[in-house]
Amino acid sequence: VIVRFRAIGNAPILKQNLYKINASNKFQAVIQFLRRELNYKASDPLFLYINSAFSPAPDELVANLVKCFNTDGHLIINYCTSAAWG
Amino acid sequence: MTAPQNPITRAIWDGTLPIKFSLDSTEAAELGAKTLVEPYFLEAPRCSYFPLLTSQIRKYFVDMSLNFIGDDAEIWYDVDGIPLKWHYPIGLLYDLHTGYRPDSNSPPPLPWPVTVHFKNFPIDKLIRAQAIDATQDFFMSMIKEADFLRNGSTKKVMNLSKNDQTQLWDGLWSSFSQKYRTENYDRFWSINYRLVTNDGQLPKHVPLRIYLPDNCPVIQEPIAPSDENGNQLTLGDVLHQILPELFPSPLPTENAFAAPVIHGVIPQLNIPILWASQNLCYPDNFLHIVVLLDS
Repeated sequence: VIVRFRAIGNAPILKQNLYKINASNKFQAVIQFLRRELNYKASDPLFLYINSAFSPAPDELVANLVKCFNTDGHLIINYCTSAAWG
Repeated sequence: MTAPQNPITRAIWDGTLPIKFSLDSTEAAELGAKTLVEPYFLEAPRCSYFPLLTSQIRKYFVDMSLNFIGDDAEIWYDVDGIPLKWHYPIGLLYDLHTGYRPDSNSPPPLPWPVTVHFKNFPIDKLIRAQAIDATQDFFMSMIKEADFLRNGSTKKVMNLSKNDQTQLWDGLWSSFSQKYRTENYDRFWSINYRLVTNDGQLPKHVPLRIYLPDNCPVIQEPIAPSDENGNQLTLGDVLHQILPELFPSPLPTENAFAAPVIHGVIPQLNIPILWASQNLCYPDNFLHIVVLLDS
Protein backbone atom coordinates (compact mmCIF):
# COMPACT_ATOMS: atom_id res chain seq x y z
CA VAL A 1 0.00 0.00 0.00
CA ILE A 2 1.08 3.58 -0.55
CA VAL A 3 1.43 6.13 2.20
CA ARG A 4 1.91 9.84 1.65
CA PHE A 5 3.59 11.79 4.42
CA ARG A 6 2.72 15.44 4.92
CA ALA A 7 4.66 17.65 7.31
CA ILE A 8 2.68 19.98 9.56
CA GLY A 9 3.96 23.17 11.17
CA ASN A 10 7.69 23.11 11.88
CA ALA A 11 8.18 19.43 11.16
CA PRO A 12 11.01 18.69 8.74
CA ILE A 13 9.94 17.92 5.19
CA LEU A 14 11.07 14.64 3.67
CA LYS A 15 12.95 14.57 0.37
CA GLN A 16 10.50 11.94 -0.74
CA ASN A 17 7.04 11.70 0.74
CA LEU A 18 5.50 8.72 -1.07
CA TYR A 19 6.38 5.25 0.16
CA LYS A 20 5.20 1.71 -0.36
CA ILE A 21 4.51 -0.12 2.88
CA ASN A 22 3.48 -3.69 3.52
CA ALA A 23 -0.20 -3.71 4.48
CA SER A 24 0.31 -6.40 7.10
CA ASN A 25 2.45 -4.04 9.15
CA LYS A 26 1.18 -2.42 12.29
CA PHE A 27 1.07 1.37 12.41
CA GLN A 28 4.03 1.14 14.80
CA ALA A 29 6.18 0.17 11.80
CA VAL A 30 5.15 3.38 10.02
CA ILE A 31 6.04 5.42 13.11
CA GLN A 32 9.48 3.75 13.35
CA PHE A 33 10.05 4.21 9.63
CA LEU A 34 9.32 7.94 9.77
CA ARG A 35 11.52 8.38 12.84
CA ARG A 36 14.39 6.70 10.99
CA GLU A 37 13.87 8.80 7.87
CA LEU A 38 13.90 11.97 9.98
CA ASN A 39 16.85 10.71 12.03
CA TYR A 40 14.88 11.20 15.20
CA LYS A 41 15.91 9.74 18.55
CA ALA A 42 13.35 7.84 20.57
CA SER A 43 13.02 10.85 22.86
CA ASP A 44 12.28 13.35 20.06
CA PRO A 45 8.57 14.14 20.01
CA LEU A 46 6.75 13.15 16.85
CA PHE A 47 3.00 12.87 16.35
CA LEU A 48 1.34 11.11 13.44
CA TYR A 49 -2.24 11.56 12.27
CA ILE A 50 -4.41 10.06 9.58
CA ASN A 51 -6.11 12.64 7.35
CA SER A 52 -5.29 15.43 9.80
CA ALA A 53 -7.93 13.91 12.04
CA PHE A 54 -6.86 11.26 14.54
CA SER A 55 -3.93 9.22 15.79
CA PRO A 56 -4.39 5.48 15.43
CA ALA A 57 -3.03 3.18 18.15
CA PRO A 58 0.40 1.80 17.17
CA ASP A 59 -0.97 -1.74 16.97
CA GLU A 60 -3.64 -0.91 14.39
CA LEU A 61 -3.02 -2.67 11.09
CA VAL A 62 -2.03 -0.58 8.10
CA ALA A 63 -4.34 -2.78 6.00
CA ASN A 64 -7.35 -1.77 8.12
CA LEU A 65 -6.38 1.90 8.07
CA VAL A 66 -6.09 1.89 4.28
CA LYS A 67 -9.42 0.07 3.88
CA CYS A 68 -11.21 2.57 6.07
CA PHE A 69 -9.42 5.87 5.57
CA ASN A 70 -7.73 5.92 2.19
CA THR A 71 -7.86 8.89 -0.15
CA ASP A 72 -7.74 7.66 -3.76
CA GLY A 73 -6.25 4.39 -2.60
CA HIS A 74 -3.42 5.77 -0.50
CA LEU A 75 -3.12 6.70 3.16
CA ILE A 76 -2.34 10.30 4.06
CA ILE A 77 -0.25 10.60 7.19
CA ASN A 78 0.37 14.02 8.69
CA TYR A 79 3.21 14.44 11.14
CA CYS A 80 4.34 17.17 13.50
CA THR A 81 6.57 17.74 16.45
CA SER A 82 3.81 18.72 18.83
CA ALA A 83 0.27 17.45 19.32
CA ALA A 84 -1.85 19.10 16.63
CA TRP A 85 -5.34 17.72 16.88
CA GLY A 86 -5.40 16.65 20.50
CA MET B 1 -28.31 17.51 31.45
CA THR B 2 -29.61 13.97 31.67
CA ALA B 3 -29.05 11.39 28.99
CA PRO B 4 -32.07 9.95 27.20
CA GLN B 5 -33.17 6.92 29.18
CA ASN B 6 -32.03 3.81 27.41
CA PRO B 7 -32.12 0.61 29.47
CA ILE B 8 -29.72 -1.15 27.11
CA THR B 9 -26.94 1.42 27.19
CA ARG B 10 -27.46 1.67 30.94
CA ALA B 11 -27.15 -2.07 31.40
CA ILE B 12 -23.95 -2.07 29.35
CA TRP B 13 -22.59 0.86 31.35
CA ASP B 14 -23.35 -0.96 34.62
CA GLY B 15 -21.86 -4.29 33.50
CA THR B 16 -19.03 -5.50 35.73
CA LEU B 17 -16.69 -8.45 36.03
CA PRO B 18 -15.24 -9.85 39.25
CA ILE B 19 -11.47 -10.08 38.78
CA LYS B 20 -8.95 -11.82 41.01
CA PHE B 21 -5.58 -10.08 40.79
CA SER B 22 -2.64 -12.24 41.85
CA LEU B 23 0.92 -11.09 42.12
CA ASP B 24 3.45 -12.79 39.87
CA SER B 25 5.17 -15.15 42.31
CA THR B 26 8.77 -14.57 41.21
CA GLU B 27 8.28 -10.83 41.42
CA ALA B 28 6.66 -11.18 44.82
CA ALA B 29 9.87 -12.67 46.16
CA GLU B 30 12.08 -10.14 44.33
CA LEU B 31 10.08 -7.19 45.54
CA GLY B 32 10.31 -8.20 49.15
CA ALA B 33 6.80 -9.39 49.89
CA LYS B 34 7.26 -11.06 53.25
CA THR B 35 4.56 -13.67 53.19
CA LEU B 36 2.38 -15.28 50.57
CA VAL B 37 0.43 -12.36 49.21
CA GLU B 38 -3.32 -12.82 49.11
CA PRO B 39 -4.88 -11.95 45.77
CA TYR B 40 -6.90 -8.78 45.39
CA PHE B 41 -10.52 -9.03 44.32
CA LEU B 42 -12.12 -6.20 42.42
CA GLU B 43 -15.41 -5.77 40.60
CA ALA B 44 -14.35 -3.97 37.43
CA PRO B 45 -16.65 -2.24 34.96
CA ARG B 46 -16.61 -4.01 31.60
CA CYS B 47 -16.43 -0.61 29.91
CA SER B 48 -13.38 0.58 31.81
CA TYR B 49 -9.66 0.06 31.23
CA PHE B 50 -7.00 -1.69 33.29
CA PRO B 51 -4.81 1.41 33.78
CA LEU B 52 -7.76 3.04 35.54
CA LEU B 53 -7.67 0.27 38.15
CA THR B 54 -3.92 0.34 38.61
CA SER B 55 -3.59 2.84 41.44
CA GLN B 56 -6.07 0.87 43.55
CA ILE B 57 -4.31 -2.42 42.82
CA ARG B 58 -0.91 -0.94 43.44
CA LYS B 59 -2.02 0.45 46.80
CA TYR B 60 -3.29 -2.95 47.88
CA PHE B 61 -0.07 -4.78 47.09
CA VAL B 62 2.15 -2.08 48.51
CA ASP B 63 0.10 -2.17 51.69
CA MET B 64 0.81 -5.92 51.69
CA SER B 65 4.49 -4.91 52.00
CA LEU B 66 5.48 -4.99 48.34
CA ASN B 67 8.54 -2.79 47.73
CA PHE B 68 7.47 -0.94 44.64
CA ILE B 69 8.31 2.71 44.10
CA GLY B 70 8.18 2.87 40.33
CA ASP B 71 5.69 4.42 37.95
CA ASP B 72 2.14 3.13 37.51
CA ALA B 73 2.99 2.82 33.81
CA GLU B 74 5.40 -0.03 34.61
CA ILE B 75 2.58 -2.17 35.94
CA TRP B 76 1.06 -4.61 33.51
CA TYR B 77 -1.32 -7.57 33.47
CA ASP B 78 -1.42 -10.98 31.89
CA VAL B 79 -3.80 -13.91 31.55
CA ASP B 80 -2.29 -17.35 30.93
CA GLY B 81 1.00 -15.74 30.03
CA ILE B 82 -0.52 -13.41 27.46
CA PRO B 83 -0.04 -9.71 28.23
CA LEU B 84 -3.33 -7.80 28.24
CA LYS B 85 -3.54 -4.82 25.91
CA TRP B 86 -4.27 -1.99 28.29
CA HIS B 87 -5.87 0.20 25.64
CA TYR B 88 -8.64 -2.37 25.05
CA PRO B 89 -11.78 -2.23 27.24
CA ILE B 90 -11.81 -4.78 30.08
CA GLY B 91 -15.01 -6.47 28.84
CA LEU B 92 -13.53 -6.98 25.37
CA LEU B 93 -10.37 -8.50 26.88
CA TYR B 94 -12.44 -10.89 28.99
CA ASP B 95 -14.64 -12.06 26.10
CA LEU B 96 -11.60 -12.48 23.87
CA HIS B 97 -9.19 -14.15 26.30
CA THR B 98 -11.63 -16.51 27.98
CA GLY B 99 -13.38 -17.37 24.72
CA TYR B 100 -16.40 -18.12 26.87
CA ARG B 101 -19.61 -18.85 24.95
CA PRO B 102 -22.65 -17.76 26.95
CA ASP B 103 -24.66 -20.42 25.12
CA SER B 104 -22.51 -23.20 26.55
CA ASN B 105 -23.58 -25.42 29.44
CA SER B 106 -20.69 -24.49 31.70
CA PRO B 107 -20.67 -21.46 33.97
CA PRO B 108 -18.47 -18.48 33.01
CA PRO B 109 -14.91 -18.48 34.37
CA LEU B 110 -15.38 -15.97 37.20
CA PRO B 111 -13.70 -14.42 39.05
CA TRP B 112 -11.34 -13.81 36.16
CA PRO B 113 -7.80 -14.72 37.29
CA VAL B 114 -5.37 -12.01 36.17
CA THR B 115 -1.69 -11.81 37.09
CA VAL B 116 -0.27 -8.41 38.04
CA HIS B 117 3.33 -7.54 37.17
CA PHE B 118 5.45 -4.74 38.57
CA LYS B 119 8.55 -5.43 36.50
CA ASN B 120 9.73 -6.49 33.07
CA PHE B 121 7.20 -4.55 31.03
CA PRO B 122 7.01 -6.43 27.69
CA ILE B 123 7.73 -3.58 25.28
CA ASP B 124 7.69 -5.97 22.36
CA LYS B 125 4.11 -7.02 23.10
CA LEU B 126 2.45 -4.02 24.74
CA ILE B 127 2.35 -0.33 23.96
CA ARG B 128 4.49 1.57 26.42
CA ALA B 129 2.54 4.50 27.80
CA GLN B 130 4.66 7.62 27.75
CA ALA B 131 2.37 9.88 29.69
CA ILE B 132 0.03 9.41 32.64
CA ASP B 133 -2.98 10.35 30.55
CA ALA B 134 -2.15 7.90 27.75
CA THR B 135 -5.37 5.98 28.37
CA GLN B 136 -7.39 9.15 27.90
CA ASP B 137 -5.51 9.98 24.68
CA PHE B 138 -6.11 6.53 23.25
CA PHE B 139 -9.77 6.69 24.25
CA MET B 140 -10.30 10.07 22.59
CA SER B 141 -8.46 8.85 19.47
CA MET B 142 -10.95 5.98 19.20
CA ILE B 143 -13.86 8.40 19.50
CA LYS B 144 -12.37 10.51 16.71
CA GLU B 145 -11.73 7.47 14.57
CA ALA B 146 -15.39 6.49 15.05
CA ASP B 147 -16.51 10.00 14.10
CA PHE B 148 -14.37 9.86 10.98
CA LEU B 149 -15.89 6.54 9.98
CA ARG B 150 -19.38 7.95 10.41
CA ASN B 151 -18.85 11.30 8.72
CA GLY B 152 -15.62 11.35 6.76
CA SER B 153 -14.22 13.92 9.19
CA THR B 154 -13.79 14.51 12.92
CA LYS B 155 -15.60 17.85 12.80
CA LYS B 156 -18.33 16.69 15.13
CA VAL B 157 -15.99 15.63 17.91
CA MET B 158 -13.66 18.58 17.43
CA ASN B 159 -16.64 20.96 17.58
CA LEU B 160 -17.57 19.69 21.02
CA SER B 161 -16.61 22.24 23.62
CA LYS B 162 -13.50 21.47 25.67
CA ASN B 163 -15.85 21.00 28.62
CA ASP B 164 -17.95 18.45 26.73
CA GLN B 165 -14.87 16.52 25.64
CA THR B 166 -13.67 16.40 29.25
CA GLN B 167 -17.13 15.29 30.39
CA LEU B 168 -16.83 12.20 28.18
CA TRP B 169 -13.62 11.09 29.81
CA ASP B 170 -14.56 12.14 33.32
CA GLY B 171 -17.85 10.29 33.08
CA LEU B 172 -16.00 7.14 32.08
CA TRP B 173 -13.01 7.03 34.38
CA SER B 174 -14.96 7.85 37.49
CA SER B 175 -17.62 5.37 36.45
CA PHE B 176 -16.81 2.70 38.92
CA SER B 177 -17.56 4.78 41.93
CA GLN B 178 -20.81 3.07 42.88
CA LYS B 179 -22.14 6.15 44.57
CA TYR B 180 -22.02 8.25 41.41
CA ARG B 181 -22.91 5.63 38.84
CA THR B 182 -26.00 7.39 37.58
CA GLU B 183 -24.43 10.84 37.57
CA ASN B 184 -21.49 9.52 35.56
CA TYR B 185 -23.74 7.69 33.13
CA ASP B 186 -25.63 10.93 32.53
CA ARG B 187 -22.42 12.90 32.23
CA PHE B 188 -21.08 10.56 29.62
CA TRP B 189 -24.21 9.77 27.65
CA SER B 190 -25.60 13.31 27.50
CA ILE B 191 -22.71 14.05 25.14
CA ASN B 192 -22.09 10.62 23.67
CA TYR B 193 -25.71 10.44 22.57
CA ARG B 194 -25.10 13.11 19.95
CA LEU B 195 -22.06 11.24 18.70
CA VAL B 196 -23.52 7.75 18.40
CA THR B 197 -26.83 8.89 16.91
CA ASN B 198 -24.86 11.25 14.67
CA ASP B 199 -27.40 14.01 15.34
CA GLY B 200 -29.98 12.01 13.43
CA GLN B 201 -27.98 11.74 10.20
CA LEU B 202 -27.34 8.38 8.63
CA PRO B 203 -23.64 7.64 9.06
CA LYS B 204 -21.46 6.79 6.06
CA HIS B 205 -19.95 3.85 7.91
CA VAL B 206 -20.51 2.09 11.20
CA PRO B 207 -17.51 1.97 13.58
CA LEU B 208 -16.87 -1.69 14.29
CA ARG B 209 -14.04 -4.13 14.85
CA ILE B 210 -14.04 -7.90 14.80
CA TYR B 211 -11.74 -10.00 16.95
CA LEU B 212 -10.97 -13.66 16.44
CA PRO B 213 -9.17 -15.82 19.00
CA ASP B 214 -5.58 -17.05 18.87
CA ASN B 215 -3.98 -13.74 18.04
CA CYS B 216 -5.73 -13.37 14.70
CA PRO B 217 -5.37 -9.92 13.16
CA VAL B 218 -8.14 -7.50 14.10
CA ILE B 219 -10.62 -6.85 11.29
CA GLN B 220 -11.86 -3.37 10.56
CA GLU B 221 -13.64 -2.55 7.33
CA PRO B 222 -15.82 0.32 6.17
CA ILE B 223 -19.37 -0.96 6.66
CA ALA B 224 -22.28 1.13 5.44
CA PRO B 225 -25.48 0.83 7.49
CA SER B 226 -27.67 0.22 4.42
CA ASP B 227 -27.24 -1.31 1.00
CA GLU B 228 -27.67 0.42 -2.37
CA ASN B 229 -31.42 -0.06 -2.19
CA GLY B 230 -31.68 1.60 1.20
CA ASN B 231 -32.29 -1.66 3.08
CA GLN B 232 -30.78 -1.73 6.54
CA LEU B 233 -27.96 -4.21 6.91
CA THR B 234 -28.20 -6.60 9.82
CA LEU B 235 -25.44 -7.92 12.03
CA GLY B 236 -25.81 -11.21 10.14
CA ASP B 237 -25.33 -9.41 6.81
CA VAL B 238 -22.14 -7.79 8.07
CA LEU B 239 -20.68 -11.01 9.50
CA HIS B 240 -21.56 -12.89 6.33
CA GLN B 241 -19.87 -10.18 4.26
CA ILE B 242 -16.69 -10.05 6.33
CA LEU B 243 -16.36 -13.72 7.37
CA PRO B 244 -18.28 -15.78 4.81
CA GLU B 245 -16.49 -19.02 5.74
CA LEU B 246 -17.68 -18.72 9.34
CA PHE B 247 -21.07 -17.21 8.50
CA PRO B 248 -22.22 -18.80 5.25
CA SER B 249 -25.56 -17.07 5.58
CA PRO B 250 -26.68 -13.77 7.09
CA LEU B 251 -29.48 -15.67 8.81
CA PRO B 252 -29.05 -17.91 11.85
CA THR B 253 -28.80 -21.42 10.47
CA GLU B 254 -27.37 -24.72 11.55
CA ASN B 255 -24.48 -24.13 9.15
CA ALA B 256 -22.86 -21.32 11.09
CA PHE B 257 -19.52 -22.22 12.56
CA ALA B 258 -19.23 -19.34 14.97
CA ALA B 259 -21.16 -16.84 17.04
CA PRO B 260 -20.60 -13.14 17.75
CA VAL B 261 -20.14 -12.09 21.37
CA ILE B 262 -20.43 -8.54 22.60
CA HIS B 263 -20.44 -7.54 26.27
CA GLY B 264 -20.63 -11.22 27.13
CA VAL B 265 -23.85 -11.90 25.22
CA ILE B 266 -24.60 -13.39 21.82
CA PRO B 267 -26.77 -10.87 19.96
CA GLN B 268 -29.32 -12.00 17.42
CA LEU B 269 -28.11 -11.87 13.85
CA ASN B 270 -31.20 -10.03 12.61
CA ILE B 271 -30.55 -6.82 14.53
CA PRO B 272 -29.83 -3.86 12.25
CA ILE B 273 -26.17 -2.96 12.39
CA LEU B 274 -27.05 0.72 12.80
CA TRP B 275 -29.14 -0.05 15.87
CA ALA B 276 -26.33 -2.21 17.23
CA SER B 277 -23.86 0.61 16.68
CA GLN B 278 -26.02 3.07 18.60
CA ASN B 279 -27.06 0.79 21.46
CA LEU B 280 -24.39 -1.87 21.90
CA CYS B 281 -21.22 0.11 21.33
CA TYR B 282 -18.55 0.55 23.96
CA PRO B 283 -17.93 4.03 25.41
CA ASP B 284 -15.21 4.49 22.77
CA ASN B 285 -18.06 4.41 20.20
CA PHE B 286 -16.91 1.18 18.59
CA LEU B 287 -18.79 -2.10 18.32
CA HIS B 288 -16.07 -4.49 19.43
CA ILE B 289 -17.34 -7.91 18.39
CA VAL B 290 -15.56 -11.10 19.39
CA VAL B 291 -16.28 -14.03 17.09
CA LEU B 292 -16.02 -17.37 18.85
CA LEU B 293 -16.00 -20.64 16.99
CA ASP B 294 -18.41 -23.42 17.74
CA SER B 295 -16.65 -26.16 19.63
